[in-house]
Amino acid sequence: MTDCSLLTCGVEDERTFEMDDYADAMPRWCPGCGDHAVLTAVERVLEKEQLRPEQTVFVSGIGCSSRFPHYLDTYGFHGLHGRALPLATGVKLSRPDLNVFVVMGDGDCTSIGAGHWLHALRYNMRMVVLMLDNEVYGLTKKQTSPTTPLGFPTNTQPRGSYLPPLNPISVMLGMTNASFIAQTADWVPAHLFETIEAAFHHDGFAFIRVLQRCPVFSANIFERAVKSPDLTELLVDDQGINVTNLGGLYKNLLRHDPSDLDRARWLAEPSDKIRLGLFYQNQAHPKYEETRKVKHHTPAEKIALLNTELDRYAV
Amino acid sequence: MNKVIVGNHAVSWGVKLARTEVISAYPITPQTQIVEELSDMCARGALNARFIKVESEHSAMAACIGASAAGVRTFTATSSQGLALMHELLHWAGLGRHPIVMANVNRAMGPGWNIWTDQNDSLSQRDTGWIQLYCETNQEVLDTTIQAFKLAEAVNIPVMIILDAFFLSHTSEPVDIPDQVTVDRFLAQRETSIKLDVADPHAFNALVRPDAYMEMRKDQQDWMRRAKTVYAEIETEWKALFGREYGKIEPYRTDDAELILVTSGTVTSTTRHVVDQMRERGTRVGLVKIKMFRPFPTDDIRRALSGAIKVAVLDRNISPGRSGIFAEEIRSALYNIPMDDRPKIFGYIVGLGGRDVTPAVIEDIVEQTQIATQPTREDLWVGVKP
Repeated sequence: MTDCSLLTCGVEDERTFEMDDYADAMPRWCPGCGDHAVLTAVERVLEKEQLRPEQTVFVSGIGCSSRFPHYLDTYGFHGLHGRALPLATGVKLSRPDLNVFVVMGDGDCTSIGAGHWLHALRYNMRMVVLMLDNEVYGLTKKQTSPTTPLGFPTNTQPRGSYLPPLNPISVMLGMTNASFIAQTADWVPAHLFETIEAAFHHDGFAFIRVLQRCPVFSANIFERAVKSPDLTELLVDDQGINVTNLGGLYKNLLRHDPSDLDRARWLAEPSDKIRLGLFYQNQAHPKYEETRKVKHHTPAEKIALLNTELDRYAV
Repeated sequence: MNKVIVGNHAVSWGVKLARTEVISAYPITPQTQIVEELSDMCARGALNARFIKVESEHSAMAACIGASAAGVRTFTATSSQGLALMHELLHWAGLGRHPIVMANVNRAMGPGWNIWTDQNDSLSQRDTGWIQLYCETNQEVLDTTIQAFKLAEAVNIPVMIILDAFFLSHTSEPVDIPDQVTVDRFLAQRETSIKLDVADPHAFNALVRPDAYMEMRKDQQDWMRRAKTVYAEIETEWKALFGREYGKIEPYRTDDAELILVTSGTVTSTTRHVVDQMRERGTRVGLVKIKMFRPFPTDDIRRALSGAIKVAVLDRNISPGRSGIFAEEIRSALYNIPMDDRPKIFGYIVGLGGRDVTPAVIEDIVEQTQIATQPTREDLWVGVKP
């Protein structure tokens, strides 16, 4: 099977797309919400790659971030809470030619959908998976999420979160078939863009945790990191995500070979710095859409197979 | 003590006054305020309960079942998709005979996504073995929440209290909040002989073979039936203490009514107003509000409706491929009464996905029912755009 759709195969497509061509409804996120930055970065990637809207699908779950498909003029599937990944699995398995993007929040991905999250990584189907992590439930107005920092007060835990937060990067690095695990932040737009761009070119399941500011319900969580670039460490490598135009703002650069899984796991552990970059990449794992690909048979082969099957019941 | 509170907080107050011991929930609009208020009460020490924050509604109900099996009073709240996600565990609570109380804020099912009220979420849990009580006002919500614990624990059947999204959940009304001492007289601490207890060990939920399963089901059915009588007794006791009662159903101006409207939830208040106005103009119209949907109060319904010529049922729900669900239950309840007593049942589908049911909509239904000689084969959808 070629990677052209039935509609456009053999038809000369001379359209070019600009960022505005991918925009749809006016985003209704709060002013200052990090989701706006992610949407812009995604639109830049779509424009750079000149992805045809009808060949691109955004699948989401439930949460502020999951309003994403409404704001893009591509195919969109606003799914159920926690179920974005199995829905996307169904889309990709039946239409491997589509560019599949998944957008979830921390509640969607690491809470109600945690089971699917692990297994989707193991399937390793080619898709870009964005987890927009504001470390709080925003759409329902401030309840504790699995990634909420210890001691952070919310409406369900007014005395502060009782548990240390789940570490999504560590979880992903512990799973079988991990193939692309990266972390970026909404307030470093150039890095955000390059990360999504690298994920798009990754031949497999590309998981990105986007640290995302919520100015209303978790306003101070990332404040120090935003104001003090010294608290951020960029993972760099010839094979990693390298952003050159950060204006010298981010000076802490750490060389990290993204094929080094043990060191990636060590780097993912909590430290006094936020680490942005590509933790791990491995394109050697088989992709599920290829593992489960149905072999193409000629009509003669089909008849032969059918006859073999029918012969089993011959009397 | 009188307070002006939203319906969601009326639930929270009821749960607090019932001295609930374990609460487990996951946030979902429009329910979230119920458990936020309870979290706050727990954090302030106003309520001595454990609040378990879980990762989904499925987990919330599982945690409630575990806590209830340990013998403590247990509560959760949810809505719509959250209730649907609980479905498997609802059967477990029902057939496991755990007296859990849950508030469900009626919200339409997706897709398309909709956060406004209709009854399809709770009604599609009809056969899970839960008692279902639909409320009309915030006062009724609070009173019913406390009553629900007593009812659940008397018959070992879980109880779902149901209130309309936004029309009750987020609307403020004056509510008389009963004092704790009187509530304690009404509702004692939960006592159960069947519980997880290291001093008296039992195994729960073992394999039940065909030679015993039917008996288990029959026992559930017998106690469901008994719940109707028990609820009436509980209401009598409640009235003696607090002066209020609601009934499994509430007939309103039905005595000489030729046409009776049947409603549930907040549509009832609007209909009550329309009935009063039409009565002033001399129209012989009445109202029956259905509060208890499971167990279905068949005898009460028969008594209330058998004198009328026509009955118009307003269903804020639809069983796709069949009919409005209350209308269908009422048709079935009246089928075996003598032909001469049997009113004609007109079904109307109204207010799905939170669409407003105004007095004008109800007046229109009354007029259409008066003009018609026979019900149409299918329920009529009111106000649907072509």
